[in-house]
Amino acid sequence: MIYCLAHHIISPLGDGSQANFEAVRAGKTGLRYYANRFVSVEPFCASLFTEPQAFVPLCIHSAEQAIKETNIVPSDENVVLVLSTTKGDNLDLLSPAQQIAEHFGNRNKPIVVSNACTSGVCAHITAQRLLESGIYQHAIVIGCDLQTRFIVSGFQAFKALSDEPCLPFSPERKGLNLGEAAATIIWSTDKQGDWRLAAGSIHNDANHISAPSRTAEGAFRCLRDVMQGVQPEDIELVGVHGTATPYNDAMEQVAIERAGLAHATISALKPYFGHTMGAAGVLETIICMLTAKKQFIKMLSGFGGVNAAIRLKCE
Amino acid sequence: MRITHEIEITPTAVILDGQTLTQTETGEKMLIGLYRQHANDYPKFFKMDTLCRLGFIATELLLQAEGAERFVPTEDRAVILANRNASIKNDKDYLKTISEQDYYPSPALFVYTLPNIVTGEIAIRNKYMGETAFYILDTPDQLMPIVETTLNTPYSTLNSAIAGWCDCSDANTFYAKIQIIWKN
Amino acid sequence: MEELIEQLKQQIIEALNFEDMTPADIDAQAPLFGEGLGLDSIDALELIMLLDREYGIKLADPKSGKEVFRSVRSMAEYIEKNRTK
Repeated sequence: MIYCLAHHIISPLGDGSQANFEAVRAGKTGLRYYANRFVSVEPFCASLFTEPQAFVPLCIHSAEQAIKETNIVPSDENVVLVLSTTKGDNLDLLSPAQQIAEHFGNRNKPIVVSNACTSGVCAHITAQRLLESGIYQHAIVIGCDLQTRFIVSGFQAFKALSDEPCLPFSPERKGLNLGEAAATIIWSTDKQGDWRLAAGSIHNDANHISAPSRTAEGAFRCLRDVMQGVQPEDIELVGVHGTATPYNDAMEQVAIERAGLAHATISALKPYFGHTMGAAGVLETIICMLTAKKQFIKMLSGFGGVNAAIRLKCE
Repeated sequence: MRITHEIEITPTAVILDGQTLTQTETGEKMLIGLYRQHANDYPKFFKMDTLCRLGFIATELLLQAEGAERFVPTEDRAVILANRNASIKNDKDYLKTISEQDYYPSPALFVYTLPNIVTGEIAIRNKYMGETAFYILDTPDQLMPIVETTLNTPYSTLNSAIAGWCDCSDANTFYAKIQIIWKN
Repeated sequence: MEELIEQLKQQIIEALNFEDMTPADIDAQAPLFGEGLGLDSIDALELIMLLDREYGIKLADPKSGKEVFRSVRSMAEYIEKNRTK
């Protein structure tokens, strides 16, 4: 069992978890229409920082704000840094993690989780395993991605973007919006804080590299695993991926029904933050912690047929 | 943990369970030659980027050495790979399709601009519905505690993993060292 | 038209990485998706890009794609009518 000691979000909606949560509650959105942001790229709708941010300083800022709320010493050898990102700092994923670790004087080699859109949830699971096995005592999990010409052009070539604010789980949905953010959760074996990470699971659909299983084979198995030992009615909230692409949301609906969770409240946060890629599993888990009272599941799915889910419980 | 099979692939050599498989070609041509000689029944191989081809052919050879029945849907085997350079070779190929002078972004290249796609390709080929995960690490030894703790996750369905290093920085610079590892 | 069909076959082979395939292996009437060549959703997107790059055709509506991509011949007919380069 690992415990959430502190967390932090920085996004176009604000600096700090509480500021972001309140912006969501007030119905604010970071989504804007961009006509000429990147050369040759068609106009798109996304949640981007007003001032362009640099990857490493943004991650350091988020981690610093979270660490401040705890007693952990980031340079201690019982602390590991786990970075969740898909494109890192201009396609380099390891160097930024090393620079962040160096900034905090942490001499353990950082771990970068790059499992497509599930990376953030997978990073929590990796942290849980490394902490529960006693290898480390605390993990600083940072999720971050910034939008570039590279990413936006690719999603446009996939015809996956909506040029209007996205509509997760709506019959009218027609695609996703991308987003920028950095978010941090500090996990620990110390029994502190309200929320603990009870279970995590990762499964592949074994179906197609870019299209989810219509019968939700991977996502259903993730839900099944993390619900071992709990009743479906104990789960009050399911934080879905909810990209608002036709196939993703249909697949998640099937997974939720197969797992007996149709009663639970659905939390789909992309209309506020866009799809923040490597940050999504960290940022959205934090918003779920601030929303739920007792117990929730956060799930994600991504390219490569991979699905991941975690269950968090409030003590 | 128990290792039952191991393969090492460099641009000039293939060593399976300690035995060198003689190659006439090198680099990516060698990977294509290995595919023709040892698989040749999966045309999707030609759509894959070099990183996926490397992981795919390494796994094919490992599983042929293992000799168990193939393509049976299962969720007791994980695919856990790691490298230093993520998907950089294919990222650069994709970048060529979005130059300002000649802007035609290729969806077929963009889909491979994530390193974990190789684990997905292996899962799809072999009908593995267990865990798939990809890590970017400084050195291969960092992966072992990750594999061990993955296999020992209490409520998981896993008994074994195809796990190891799978790195590619261009069509003729790659290295794979992948094993079949059992929980006990 | 027959010349365009042959050129298109070659472009499809290159764009979709059909190793070992020659234009003669592709039946111009055969379905591109499902049976026939067995293309998938990423291939469809790559063909949309091919139409844009080689013939200056922007296929905005994915629904019209279904008709266009029925076969190599239907693609060639569409190109003949709509090409801008």
